[in-house]
Amino acid sequence: MTAPSEQRQGYRPGSLEILAVGLVVLIVGQRWLVGLFDDPALQTGATIFVSIVVQALPFLVLGVVLSGAIAAFVPASFWKKALPKNPVLAVPVAGAAGAVLPGCECASVPVANGLMSRGVAPAAALAFLLSAPAINPIVLASTFVAFPGEPMMVVARFIASLATAVIMGWLWLRFGKAKWLRIGPRDHLVGANPWHTFRLTATHDFLHAGGFLVIGGLFAAALNVLVPQQWLSAVADQPILSVLVLAGLAVLLSICSEADAFVAASLTEFSLTAKLAFLVVGPMVDLKLISLQAGTFSTKFATRFAPTTFVLAVIFSLLVGWWLLT
Amino acid sequence: MRRDVQAIVLILVGGAILRITIGDTYLNYVKEVMKPWLLLSGGALVVLGVLALIDSLRKGRAADDEETPHDGPHEHAGAQGHDGAHEDDDGHGHGHGGPRAAWLLLLPVLAIFLIAPPALGAYAAARDVANSAPPQAAKAPPLPPGDPAQVTVAEYVGRAVWDDGLTLEGRTVEMTGFVTPDPEGGWWITRMAVACCAADAIASKVKVLNTPDLPADTWVTMTGRWVPGGGTKNDTAIPLIEVIDLVEVPQPKNPYE
Repeated sequence: MTAPSEQRQGYRPGSLEILAVGLVVLIVGQRWLVGLFDDPALQTGATIFVSIVVQALPFLVLGVVLSGAIAAFVPASFWKKALPKNPVLAVPVAGAAGAVLPGCECASVPVANGLMSRGVAPAAALAFLLSAPAINPIVLASTFVAFPGEPMMVVARFIASLATAVIMGWLWLRFGKAKWLRIGPRDHLVGANPWHTFRLTATHDFLHAGGFLVIGGLFAAALNVLVPQQWLSAVADQPILSVLVLAGLAVLLSICSEADAFVAASLTEFSLTAKLAFLVVGPMVDLKLISLQAGTFSTKFATRFAPTTFVLAVIFSLLVGWWLLT
Repeated sequence: MRRDVQAIVLILVGGAILRITIGDTYLNYVKEVMKPWLLLSGGALVVLGVLALIDSLRKGRAADDEETPHDGPHEHAGAQGHDGAHEDDDGHGHGHGGPRAAWLLLLPVLAIFLIAPPALGAYAAARDVANSAPPQAAKAPPLPPGDPAQVTVAEYVGRAVWDDGLTLEGRTVEMTGFVTPDPEGGWWITRMAVACCAADAIASKVKVLNTPDLPADTWVTMTGRWVPGGGTKNDTAIPLIEVIDLVEVPQPKNPYE
């Protein structure tokens, strides 16, 4: 965890030179390079990839701007005052607070970490960690936009995600052990003044979440172009299997919650309940989050927390999907 | 990733978004309502990037003054840092300089400038097994007045397949779409319908009778008459149309329905 001083890190040649050379090659060779990509399958995949990224980007930018503003302009003491003293009550309050505080899941791990280091009960911070990326207004708005004509999808996503988050918080109260958590600082994102902190946080969160959005977009495009539609239809026709497959896909794809509704909507073969499982599991359990949690809290924590959350999220998706979406 | 490289990545991503939005290319990917949001977010990224670049240039100059005697060894250490193995990692996938995943953000920029992905066409349409989405209303309203009546390809499919062509009988219709070759000979006039972005596009296809073959992805505006056949009440049925007149046209500004 000991990093060299900022100046030294900032002074290594390497990435900037690679980027510069790469850009020159591209500009000089563009005419020739474009010819290489003249294949309908590749072009179709590229269209789908770019469209997912372009559609999700404004939501992502809005999310990181708001999470940066919260990190920079809301004082730490606010959280302690806002939450009930009794942790059993603090869990649902913190879970519901996720509904008004935007931030995608890459941001929520550090935010939850910050809340714990500011004295918030871990169970409440964890409920917030799970609910905030799933049910905040930006995510719900993007879900509404991605599923025109299916407004119940928004309601179902809200209920199933909040229920999973609150139950996980209570489970932590009952079974969680403090030694599984290692609470660390996020001080490399604190700037000279609030405005500077805002910029650092927004930039960091955008670059991080944007990278994982790109991975998600690539997978979705590959799925669209490489996997024969007959296979997808065959899986999609099995009610339980299709839910499990999309829940598992959400874990693998690790798409930012501000963008995942657009990927879910592109899986046109699947039932709404299966897509709901994708949307409930994705913001709570995925490869990138597991690695973030292991890095922030500890591996012991991540190996217990993530699988339990997955099981609960699938159960609630099935229940709520059966209740609201059929 | 270094702070100055992060700044350049932000500027490139923001710039690419602004470029496709101002040039109307964005309509190949998303709906028109996204335009102001794309302009805002692209602009915000460019601003964040420029500010970060100014930061790191300033810091670089300050560090220069302080650290001149140590420049040699640092240069040396950096020369091996290219493969990433030497990057400091704070346990969540990136060093304090910034997330390594951020390199991936260059991929959409490259795709936009190098591949310049076109609107979804015949290749995507041919992959779609289902034809259009079933219409919301059980019974279609009468066709709009006009001779020929303007319809979308999806609307034609809906009326022909799900309403037995009742509302099309005896009318001349005009629609615009592109050519998708039918593997069994002839071609379909096709249009993709987009609910949110191109990733969820669904093709609508109508089999065009008595015309010579055209190359895939040629855009045409045609007038024609409905003829029975092709199947009904089935989401893979492809209805038929008999051509009266057909002209090649450029791709419409918005390629989707």
